[in-house]
Amino acid sequence: MTSLSSSTTLAERQSNPQRPLVTLRGIQKSFGPTHVLKGVNFTVRPGQIHALLGGNGAGKSTMIRVITGEIRANAGDLHLQASHGGDPKVAVVYQELALIPDLTVAENIALVHAPSGFALKRQAQAALIAEEALSLIDPHLARTALFRKAGDLSMHEGQIVEIARALSTGAEVLLLDEPTANLTAAETEQLFAVLKGLAKDKGIGIVFVSHRMKEIRQLCDVCTIIRDGKTAIDARPIGMLTDAAIIQEMGQPAHRAEAQIARNDGQPVVATLTGPTIQHPIQRGTILGLAGAPEGPAHVISSLIGHGRHRDWCMTGDGWGNAPTSPRDAVAQGIGFVSGDRATKGVLAQLPIIDNVLASRRVRERRLFVGQNERSECAGLMQALKVKAGSAWDRPGTLSGGNQQKLLVARWLGLPLKMVVFEEPTRGVDIGTKRDMYALIRQMAEEGTIVVWWSTENVELLELCHEILAFDTEGQPKGFLPADRFDEDALAELTGMAA
Amino acid sequence: MNSTSNTLDTNGTTDTRAKPPSVLSTYRTELAIAGAIIVIMLGVGAFVPAALSLGNFANIAQAAAPLVIMALGILLVIITGGIDLSVGSVFSLTGMVAASAMANGVDGFTASLIGLGVGVVFGAINGALVTLAGLAPFVVTLITYAVAGSLAFIVTNGRSVGVAAPNYWLFNSGSLVPGIANYVLFCIIFLICLEFVLRKVTFGRWFYAVGSSSTAAHLLGVPVKRTRFAAYVFSSTMASFAGLLTLSYILNAESTSGASLMLQAIAAVVIGGASLFGGTGSAVGAVLGALMITVIQNGVNLIGINSFWQGSVTGLAILVAVLIDRFSQK
Amino acid sequence: MMIFKKAILAASLLAVATGMAHAEDKKTVAYIAPSLDIDYWQWVARGVQQKAEELGMEYVEYTSENSPAKQMDNARVAVTRGVDAIVIGPVSSTSTPPFLNYLEKEGIPVAFTGIGPQPGLTNYTSAVTANNYETGIAQGKFTCELAKERGGNKVGMLSLPQDRENAQKYLKGAEEAFADNGCELVQMLETKGLTINEAVTQANDLLTANPDVKAIYGMYDQAGTGAAKALETRGMTGQVAVTVADGSPTTIQLMKDGAIQGIFFQEAVGQGIDATEQVYKSLNGEETTQDMALLMPLVTADKIDSDEAKAVIARVFPQD
Repeated sequence: MTSLSSSTTLAERQSNPQRPLVTLRGIQKSFGPTHVLKGVNFTVRPGQIHALLGGNGAGKSTMIRVITGEIRANAGDLHLQASHGGDPKVAVVYQELALIPDLTVAENIALVHAPSGFALKRQAQAALIAEEALSLIDPHLARTALFRKAGDLSMHEGQIVEIARALSTGAEVLLLDEPTANLTAAETEQLFAVLKGLAKDKGIGIVFVSHRMKEIRQLCDVCTIIRDGKTAIDARPIGMLTDAAIIQEMGQPAHRAEAQIARNDGQPVVATLTGPTIQHPIQRGTILGLAGAPEGPAHVISSLIGHGRHRDWCMTGDGWGNAPTSPRDAVAQGIGFVSGDRATKGVLAQLPIIDNVLASRRVRERRLFVGQNERSECAGLMQALKVKAGSAWDRPGTLSGGNQQKLLVARWLGLPLKMVVFEEPTRGVDIGTKRDMYALIRQMAEEGTIVVWWSTENVELLELCHEILAFDTEGQPKGFLPADRFDEDALAELTGMAA
Repeated sequence: MNSTSNTLDTNGTTDTRAKPPSVLSTYRTELAIAGAIIVIMLGVGAFVPAALSLGNFANIAQAAAPLVIMALGILLVIITGGIDLSVGSVFSLTGMVAASAMANGVDGFTASLIGLGVGVVFGAINGALVTLAGLAPFVVTLITYAVAGSLAFIVTNGRSVGVAAPNYWLFNSGSLVPGIANYVLFCIIFLICLEFVLRKVTFGRWFYAVGSSSTAAHLLGVPVKRTRFAAYVFSSTMASFAGLLTLSYILNAESTSGASLMLQAIAAVVIGGASLFGGTGSAVGAVLGALMITVIQNGVNLIGINSFWQGSVTGLAILVAVLIDRFSQK
Repeated sequence: MMIFKKAILAASLLAVATGMAHAEDKKTVAYIAPSLDIDYWQWVARGVQQKAEELGMEYVEYTSENSPAKQMDNARVAVTRGVDAIVIGPVSSTSTPPFLNYLEKEGIPVAFTGIGPQPGLTNYTSAVTANNYETGIAQGKFTCELAKERGGNKVGMLSLPQDRENAQKYLKGAEEAFADNGCELVQMLETKGLTINEAVTQANDLLTANPDVKAIYGMYDQAGTGAAKALETRGMTGQVAVTVADGSPTTIQLMKDGAIQGIFFQEAVGQGIDATEQVYKSLNGEETTQDMALLMPLVTADKIDSDEAKAVIARVFPQD
């Protein structure tokens, strides 16, 4: 794991540094009260493949939006310099494709060249432009796919088309946001070959955002790590960093000393978690972490709370009824759910805070009327969570993301529950709130509730959990890691991801 | 207002007032509409003094009653983020069915129950197609709008029907409570009940939860389907009731009687502060919206403006109401 | 697949239908209504049907749903089906030229009811319509007299939408009559929905704004019912006179009750009968009358039970 594997052309490039295409110095950006970027430095050089790492909410995507000009920084210098003078074109390829599914590949590419929609009618011309663009990076695709509908392409082909389209407009900087998240291993190989070729032969500056350690080592020359809105590591050659060092720089330093390993040895086994290939006893008050690529943990959560189609996991044991058929059934059985996807899965944005907080109690306790005592109940919960709001009748939108997240936890706080399922509860919240969330999770567990917690940040799982169930990038469970064997490297190896 | 530097050590105290907001701030949109209605009425009164007579108030109340009741019904659907385009057709069909029943010797009370049945059935169809089949409310109610609308013609081959039952008019104009005409009484009862349910009953809060985010509500254990279903049944049944009220007043059922009411009812709800995206709206607002539309129509007629202008004036009122709502939200 | 099946079904039905028509060698008359949501057009239908039966003709019916395009489609369908003559209530006068040109080419006689063809056209067999202008004069004069009997000269009007040609003619006639007889039209409200409910509201508003109105001129049947209803609610039945054009069982009953003082009957059934007779004559090479503008006969409350009135009413709506 500590081998100094490095790209073959690395030395050559380092010795021959060209003028950077993009330079960021001390960039700051806040959204309302939230300071997302607190002085970021970042440089993109031609011909270099640059890994950009950072935990969730560290400020990566905000920084990308500053580079593309989508948002303006509050302070700091942004300097863009194309190889032939002027501003270089910056193209971003996101995880979700930005192609129009009902148009052909040729039309999708020609679209950005057409002065108006009418030009699209000239199919032959569109095909010419598209073929020229595509053949530069994938001659096979250029021969076969021009007249296929973009919606019929595979994820990988779609990405290639997007990259070709971006390059055909003269883009010199290519930002790829987790491009491999939905690709198979073979497709990833192909994509990497294309990217390496672009960097080496055409001098394109490539920024690669990913959590996958193996891929980063395979592809990238240098690595920048963003943490909490600041640059922690600035363009260090990848070979000079160990996996452990990367993990260390990305997360908050592990707070837990050896003596503080979370233990719940004395607790009785109250349930069994059964999955497709795995079965495991769960003790009272266990904090069970789910780690790895999203697919696996998502299935577990879906099964446990009765939402969605997946039903391949279940909790069984004394007092555990049938697997919940719906979230309503789950709540009735004493299973709570908190999502970090606050906008779609958590907050009821149009309802006042008091309704948001007490909705779960109204369901769980089958309350018929909105009671007078609910006011003090809500006030009490918010006090316990240290949420500061103007009034319980304000909309949740008046609160910061972190405080909104606490509201979602408040729903289940103090209720006698068998289990609470957390889905990335610390997504996009500041460090202070994260600490508060950890305390709440511990508190719930100490009261005897089983906590199932999915996080994409391994560091926080390692800090809090009693055990971790790891999934690989294919969504298969790779086994339970008990607290005494917790180790960032071990987890990174099991999941194939650094986070 | 609040800060995100909300860490354990810096933020020990909280300021969560347990006092609910005052009536004034809860109903600020509604008060603005009420104010607008008064301004319109005074404006019309400046041209036509008779506009401010008791007789004209009774005219307005009588003309507004069916719209008020329909608006209260459709409000519930709109709060859940849906739409019900079938209310006008259900209104017409109810009248035709009940009047035909009476023409065939059924007594007024039974005929009314049959009429209400029309609403319940169409509401259940709407609700089932939206919740169980998962079809878009716009499409579903467009279908029932067309079907109920054509059935309204089929019942009597398009002919209008007079009501044969004696004293059926008492249903609308009589007074169960001395001093208050029934059409006003019904509006008041429905208004109070619905406002109470929406504010103080858990099930009432679910309508808002579903409209705000049906996924979030579902994950919380809110019975999303049941809530939606109830909204459609309620909407349709209220439309039926409004149809019966009109029938008992006019004593004549026509196939097209409800045609213009659907858009007016939606307009009333929107004027009353509800968002077509769901999650907001109040019964008081819907009633005031319906009153505002009626007052505008009344004013246009009294002043003698060509009644083709009514649509434009109502459109303007919606715009003003929506803008007031938009900018009173900080 | 579905469409294919439907096509086969339609084709076979058409074959059967035309086959039958030929087999019996009966002439067929088609009635094309602008829409069937108004009683009036259904009553015309009954007149056509009644006369067709009497003359030994087959009867078919189409609806244009107020769309000129649908009206044109209906003509083509009728021709394809092999009808011999057409009676039409057009969607509008202006929609008639292409319709008539097509049917002229096919050699099919056409008679109009209710609404006539666009002025200037001659390629049709007959137009059986109400004489709106003359009726407007008659109803205006009658309404004015009623107002004066009640000690005033102010009248109000509940009008059809004034974008309609017949409404404009009614109004022109009525205004002339008011001027000649010394009455003043203080307010006119136009309907949009043609419903009784709307008419009640408008009548209420009219009476509130103009308390000194002594008579209300109702240009369409629902207006009469609405005005009568509004007056009844105010306890003013008979104090303000109501006259109405068209006539229906509802308004006849209101007249018997004293809530309406006179009805100018639009002979819907009669128009259907006359129009059918005209196309029948044309088919048999007999002489036809191209323009039949029928004056709408007035029936007042005191004469409603006379034989004369019964004969009129028989030509207004079906007696069953």
